[in-house]
Amino acid sequence: MRSFVLFTKVYILFAALAAVLFSGSLMIHIAYISRAVHPLSDKDLQHLLAQCRHDNARNQVTGILFYSHGNIAQLFEGEAEVLEPLFERISRDGRHSHVRKLVQKPISVRSFAEWSMAFHPIEPAGFEALQGFLSPQALPPLPTTLSIADAMLVELVRLAVFPDREVPEAPAPVQP
Amino acid sequence: MREQHLHDILRHLPAGVVTLQGPEMRVSFANEAMRTVLGPAVREGALLLDGGNRLPADLQEVLRQVYRSGQPFVAQAYGLSAAFTDGDDPTTHYYDLAFEPVREPAESGDVTGLLLFAVEVTVQEEARLRAHALALETRHLDARLRVLTETAPLITFTLDAHGVCTYASPQWYRFTGQPPTADLTAIWPLLMHPDDRLRVLYQAQAARQAGTGWSYEYRLRRYDGQYRWVLSRAQPEVHPPDPPVYWHGALTEMHDQRELAEALRRGEAELRFLADSIPELIWTATAEGLIDYYNRYTTEYSGLTLDELGPAGWVSLLHPEEQAVAARAWVLSVAKGTPFEGQYRMRRHDGYYRWHIIRARQLADERGPRWFGTCTDVEDQNRLHQALQTQYDELARAHHDLDTFVYAASHDLRQPALNLRGLFDELRRTATFADPEQEHLLGMVDGALGQLDATLHDLAATVRTQRPQQEPVELLDLALVLEEVLLGLRPQAQQRGARLDVEVEEAPGLLYGRANLRSVVHNLVSNALKFAHPERPPHVVLRSYLTPAGEPVLEVQDNGLGMELDNPQTPVFQLFVRQHTHVEGTGVGLYLVQRIVRSQGGHVEVASTLGEGTTFTIYWTQPE
Repeated sequence: MRSFVLFTKVYILFAALAAVLFSGSLMIHIAYISRAVHPLSDKDLQHLLAQCRHDNARNQVTGILFYSHGNIAQLFEGEAEVLEPLFERISRDGRHSHVRKLVQKPISVRSFAEWSMAFHPIEPAGFEALQGFLSPQALPPLPTTLSIADAMLVELVRLAVFPDREVPEAPAPVQP
Repeated sequence: MREQHLHDILRHLPAGVVTLQGPEMRVSFANEAMRTVLGPAVREGALLLDGGNRLPADLQEVLRQVYRSGQPFVAQAYGLSAAFTDGDDPTTHYYDLAFEPVREPAESGDVTGLLLFAVEVTVQEEARLRAHALALETRHLDARLRVLTETAPLITFTLDAHGVCTYASPQWYRFTGQPPTADLTAIWPLLMHPDDRLRVLYQAQAARQAGTGWSYEYRLRRYDGQYRWVLSRAQPEVHPPDPPVYWHGALTEMHDQRELAEALRRGEAELRFLADSIPELIWTATAEGLIDYYNRYTTEYSGLTLDELGPAGWVSLLHPEEQAVAARAWVLSVAKGTPFEGQYRMRRHDGYYRWHIIRARQLADERGPRWFGTCTDVEDQNRLHQALQTQYDELARAHHDLDTFVYAASHDLRQPALNLRGLFDELRRTATFADPEQEHLLGMVDGALGQLDATLHDLAATVRTQRPQQEPVELLDLALVLEEVLLGLRPQAQQRGARLDVEVEEAPGLLYGRANLRSVVHNLVSNALKFAHPERPPHVVLRSYLTPAGEPVLEVQDNGLGMELDNPQTPVFQLFVRQHTHVEGTGVGLYLVQRIVRSQGGHVEVASTLGEGTTFTIYWTQPE
């Protein structure tokens, strides 16, 4: 029993040490919304999906992007030294404007296993099989690792991008 | 041999050469270059002035003139259509033509022929023509620019690198009212508002030194002495790699916009100030439901910075148990545009959670939808409410205990009272009293015993109604039940010569507890008989009917003493309160009626006039 306690203590110490040592590779997530300068065609979207997936996989950036009728919203996560310059580049990208950063904060774990995009293709056939494509009608539930405030933020931007989406009924608020 | 050599040279010359003999201009020599000028017909031996050559008339004329006069002539940039030599090519070629008379013998003799040189100058001529067209275009543009700069509703100007104003459009003079002779560089700063002058001069100089453009606003004095806000924008004229030498710019009057913006800013600043002064959490959100403003109190209460709060951070202030519910409710409100309201615990800066009512409403106007929300601290109200609830519960319990006690007591006391009555009756039967005074005393004891029993009976009946739905409800025939009750009261009625009328035709049936109905009617009618007016026999009318809403009602009307309804000393339905103390009673009757009717969801109304009578109206059921 004693040795177990000792082991736990050593483990905690080690974990704390590791946290200090690896604080250089701080994980953050960033969310923003923006407007596309020109509406994106199926081909543009397909191209964007392929390119971003390639780049993001290389940089270990995960997250989700919503696009509809020129409205863009994205939440992405990764190491701070990757994400900060990436967001810099994104905000300077001439293909969209009105970029509004909503949140940037440290996270302890990733919530998304990969990077994917949700949009309504004009010709849905062929997109279903595409890697990283999500249909806005069939979005998976948000990961529970997101804090409720962050999950709500994603819900709100998703709602802003896909206003026709069904919103689940809210339960009655707690009464004191 | 030499002539042959010369001909060879001439043949390869890039200029056209032709020698002509005699007044009929017979070609004696023509090189290839000349044939491209004058056409393939120019061959040795051909007659140049022959109509078949189709030489332009003016050229033929010049050839003749030079031959006649013996004076050389040079024609510059003479245009010859290429169609002359090649029927398909319509372009014009230009040549410098030199006409040289040939004399024989040389120098002194008569003219015997002509030497014609042609050098193509098409490229030079075209360049010249282009330059000419450009000059015309430039003049045109210049004129247009001038018209535009002088008629557009803005002032244009040019400054050099030293800040010297080299040009200002006429609008400047019109706006400022300065004479055309005014020294622009010197007077311009003087026309700026003194509060803006230093800033503008500094900014302009900084921009000139940095070689950049500028855009700033300042007040400029108009001809009438009024200062008007203007927007000054300028860009340097750049010819890399040299630094810019001139700055061209425009001044636009924007006084009205500026005033409007100022008013808006003031209005907004005042609203912000107001919002910041209220000790309540106030926030606004965009159409998407993302918070874009928290008032100062929000940061004070939460102890978080605006960045930490963020567009959705308010949710993390809520109690962990309530976050998910609140978040879903908010998303739903945003989706549907419906107001948001709920009670949630919000964390204070010290970690203590206080109950708040969070409300938000959507404002939709021409600026697009946005949300306005408040969080009102209801912790104190809730605590008060809880305290009151606790007290209420305690009181209700005490009340119930009291009822139980009264019931038990009245029940337990009835037996000794009955025993007392039995013993008293026995005593009365067996004992004899000589003194008639004592007989009177016995009567009083008898009365007191009767009253004690009635009081105990009434008390027990009162607290019995405490337990609702004790009694099964059934559809009662009112006529029958009323008749029974009135039968029980017949002795009193006969004693007072009362008249009792029953009118139940309008609503003959009633869904109610039988005992309850009997108790109510018994109490009301016996009251009516008890409190009859001494000067007239009692007349009681019982009427059953339906209200317009279909509720069954029983009305009991008498012509008795009447009551004071608004006397606070003697409330009508209070237990043990009696209005007419000269008439014997327990003060329980009306209280009991009230309790029975209320316990079944109905209510009792009473109208009364002192000395004339009282009407009780029983609404049996709860109104819909």
